[in-house]
Amino acid sequence: MTFNIHGGYLEAIVRGHRAGLLTAADYNNLCQCETLDDIKMHLSATEYGPYLQNEPSPLHTTTIVEKCTLKLVDEYKHMLCQATEPLSTFLEYITYGHMIDNVVLIVTGTLHERDVQELLEKCHPLGMFDSIATLAVAQNMRELYRLVLVDTPLAPYFSECITSEDLDDMNIEIMRNTLYKAYLEDFYKFCQKLGGATAEIMSDLLAFEADRRAVNITINSIGTELTRDDRRKLYSSFGLLYPYGHEELAVCEDIDQVRSAMEKYPPYQSIFAKISYGESQMLDKAFYEEEVKRLCLAFEQQFHYAVFFAYMRLREQEIRNLMWISECVAQNQKSRVHDSVVFIF
Amino acid sequence: MEESIQTIDNGGGEEGEIATLRFLDSLDAYVSLLNSLSSTLRQGWLELASARHSMGSSRISSALFDLKVQSASTTCQVTDSSDGSPSDSPHFTLSKWVSSREGKCSGEELTQLQKESSSSKLRHRGAPNSSDGVDDANSAINDSHSTVGNIIQKERSKSLSVFGALVPPKLRAAQGSFETALDIIVELANMRASMLSSYSQVQQEMAEIGDSS
Repeated sequence: MTFNIHGGYLEAIVRGHRAGLLTAADYNNLCQCETLDDIKMHLSATEYGPYLQNEPSPLHTTTIVEKCTLKLVDEYKHMLCQATEPLSTFLEYITYGHMIDNVVLIVTGTLHERDVQELLEKCHPLGMFDSIATLAVAQNMRELYRLVLVDTPLAPYFSECITSEDLDDMNIEIMRNTLYKAYLEDFYKFCQKLGGATAEIMSDLLAFEADRRAVNITINSIGTELTRDDRRKLYSSFGLLYPYGHEELAVCEDIDQVRSAMEKYPPYQSIFAKISYGESQMLDKAFYEEEVKRLCLAFEQQFHYAVFFAYMRLREQEIRNLMWISECVAQNQKSRVHDSVVFIF
Repeated sequence: MEESIQTIDNGGGEEGEIATLRFLDSLDAYVSLLNSLSSTLRQGWLELASARHSMGSSRISSALFDLKVQSASTTCQVTDSSDGSPSDSPHFTLSKWVSSREGKCSGEELTQLQKESSSSKLRHRGAPNSSDGVDDANSAINDSHSTVGNIIQKERSKSLSVFGALVPPKLRAAQGSFETALDIIVELANMRASMLSSYSQVQQEMAEIGDSS
């Protein structure tokens, strides 16, 4: 009853933003474009227009993605500066995933002797923080934590990562996934504390995210040096697959074994029914379609914070769609454009 | 070229016809390889875009390439003809996934193992009483095959590790496509050398026929 006192304005704002998401008609027009300039012309009639209008030709696909992301960042910053507690903390939680990706990008790039400025340009704007450039001086995870991350929101997630081992590619990957696991679990607990419709809807969305990450970690680690125990440690401690599904996934050696483990869970049976045996290429699209379905359902209820999370994720999906369409147009492969586009409406 | 074929038809020797046919065959093979290269590269680029779509643009970008000095994992050796005759052409040999960083296996050893493992696919009919020897030979061949496979797999994972230790199957597929494209490029170079050599022979035959007439 009292939600609208502090959250009513921003809920109205985010529902207005949702109405600006691209429709099936927009995607049909975009899929018929011959060049990236045609895509720019079609997007000029949408909310992305002001962000692309000053970009000179020839356009690049990364430019389209960057400018569309800038729009999302502007909307997010407007909502964050208008938000009060606990919504402001909720909105900040949404960006911690990008923060983790940026930390890993800087550390990996530094390991490869890349220029820090070049790496900072590649960072996601939603995941930036003040001392991010200082990450380049750290030699191991202990220094990473002590010098930089202790004063960031990621500090509590580092308790399981702090070792004096040197940073190499496998350790960095384990660090990425361990941080993300800790972040998801923390976000889940925060939403549970909020209670009400926020807890109910966010539990479902975060559980799906945790399960999808478990599947991706399993598939990506097949044939690598990651041991079964290390793989198991990267799975989150919640979700539909926890704990028995995780035990089965930890010992999978190929995609068919992953399918056998997942088909025991009805929500994921329908996802794996869409892909053929031995094939994993379309699995991403199947998961994205399921995620979009759940995110759209979040808007069916009112007076909860999950709409903000759902909107951010839907915009990110839209930007992924635009990126894929742009790549297919740029590479003259329009016949493959429907391989990865997920319609939102 | 039409004049040269007509001249050969009118007077010319068998050698001229053979040279012309060889030239046309190599030209046909060259064009086929060009088409094959084009389609393989298109597939590779789309798979790379698909991997970027899956992992995110920041995780697959040129900003993550390793700038540290390191030995090449794949080398190309060019063998020139020693006697300088125009009929001989340079030969290109690709040695993939050879790394002498750890000294475990040099390029020549790996190439030799690769040849042995590919020849092990041929069936050999041996005498019935040589079955023990055949079994030992087969197990040695299988061991060398798995050694080659393991080394190659490790080298492949190492080159992908710039994008992270856990990469999706789409990125591995893109790597496979570009690897195949590299094979085709070397084959293309050899075919072009052969084509140019055949063309020189055709020109030589034409000149001889012109002199004799």
